[in-house]
Amino acid sequence: MTTAIRHGRFGTAFAYMRTMAVFVAAWWALALWTGNPALLPTPLEVLKAIVALASDLELFLHAGISLWRMLLSLALATVLAVPLGVAMGLSRVLDGLVDPVVEILRPISGIAWIPLALFILGVGNALPVFIMTYAAFFPILLGTVAGVRGVDRRLIDAARTMGVPHRRIVARVVVPAALPSLLVALRLGVASSWTAVVAAELIGAPSGLGYAIEWYRELLLTPQVMTFIAMIGLLGYLFDRALRALAQRFTPWAADARMS
Amino acid sequence: MSTALPSTRSFALPAARSVALPIALVVVWQLAGAASGNARTPLPTHVLAAALQLIESGELPLALLQSLGRVFTGFAIAAALAIPLGLAMGSFAGVERNVDPLVESFRPIAAIAILPLAILWLGTGTPAAVLIVAYAAFFPIVVNTVAGAKRINPTLLRAAATMGLSRLAIVRTVVVPGALPAIGTGLRIAMGVAWTAIVAAELAVGAKAGGGGSGGIGQMMFVFYAYSIELNRIVVCMIAVGLVALALDRALRAAMRWAMPWAAR
Repeated sequence: MTTAIRHGRFGTAFAYMRTMAVFVAAWWALALWTGNPALLPTPLEVLKAIVALASDLELFLHAGISLWRMLLSLALATVLAVPLGVAMGLSRVLDGLVDPVVEILRPISGIAWIPLALFILGVGNALPVFIMTYAAFFPILLGTVAGVRGVDRRLIDAARTMGVPHRRIVARVVVPAALPSLLVALRLGVASSWTAVVAAELIGAPSGLGYAIEWYRELLLTPQVMTFIAMIGLLGYLFDRALRALAQRFTPWAADARMS
Repeated sequence: MSTALPSTRSFALPAARSVALPIALVVVWQLAGAASGNARTPLPTHVLAAALQLIESGELPLALLQSLGRVFTGFAIAAALAIPLGLAMGSFAGVERNVDPLVESFRPIAAIAILPLAILWLGTGTPAAVLIVAYAAFFPIVVNTVAGAKRINPTLLRAAATMGLSRLAIVRTVVVPGALPAIGTGLRIAMGVAWTAIVAAELAVGAKAGGGGSGGIGQMMFVFYAYSIELNRIVVCMIAVGLVALALDRALRAAMRWAMPWAAR
């Protein structure tokens, strides 16, 4: 407690800088000792690669392509999973029918679909979008079902008592009440599909961050490889932050749901 | 009165319902696949035949064992590093303040993204795959261990301190048992992530290193895709990947329940 007060926001930033400075120093020493820039480049060489890749916009081009695929997949997964999840959460019969299929497919990771999907869809945009949609689908579906199930029965009963039609109960009561867990589910979906994008692009796409990593690895340009790896981490982090902010903005009452 | 006892009908109906859609989908797959007229289209009957063949020849069990061996090795390395680190971070604010920036900086980087570096450093064999698994499994274990160590009732910590225990003794006798359920959750999540990562790593190694010999289930799938084009066998591998994922999760859940029955959820 006391340490949290003594080291406020400034203290945290200072600790961050200090730790990263030690890390960079250790990396630099190791790189000099290795003496092989293809194996382990110095931080300076990576920095140069970052500047070069950023100034000719190649970095942003690949990042934009991956981001666009990610958003498209996320939209697809949401459009498919949320209505199904709401329906499954409301109807025991539908849940009993669909849930076994979900439980059969869910353990098969999106990445395990890559060879089959590669054969059917070929190398291109469709493959990463399919894999990412698949990867995001299950967390969103399960989160929606859990959220809808968790809605206070009394709210639904109250609305019904007041004569609100069924359709509007779903739109005005169930979905808003399930929103916090839906947003958590969305975050899990993003995390899982962002992991899949690298694998999908590494193997079966002619562009994107995963592709760029592999391209520069074959050229043994390790500083460039590290630049794109860092970009993947940065974007994943920013995605998570953005979704947290979104949750805070739209469901400020649900602080607990954001903890996980 | 009659509602108190579940009648056979109310039991049989959900059971029938739960297999209805899977069976219907398999039938549709079989009919649509047969109607498509393409000899390469995987069909449930062909998949079953291919599965029997692959099990009988020992190829599938061998590939799964190779992959599992890598997963367990990487998982053990990750746990050996992450649990002590997580306990230290959760118990001592100074450790957390200095180490957390590093953990949080690397956590968003997916394990598969560092695969090219792993190949560069360790080649296309088992060590690179183990490194990927260890990297993937490390973060869920650390994060959950830290959370578990921090969630311990402060009264217990103060009571232990009042009784004159040293800080290390407190960690050993209060923090570790208290954080055990959270560590267990971290291990279970990490195992799922590790299994996904090994399939990805072996697939990518197969794709980028020309399929050559390092083995494992992901590699096997890639060979069926790229060299012999046997979609039925790819589907067998996918099902095997799913079944192993399920079995690993169930096994860890059972182990947790057995090791810490008080934390059953």
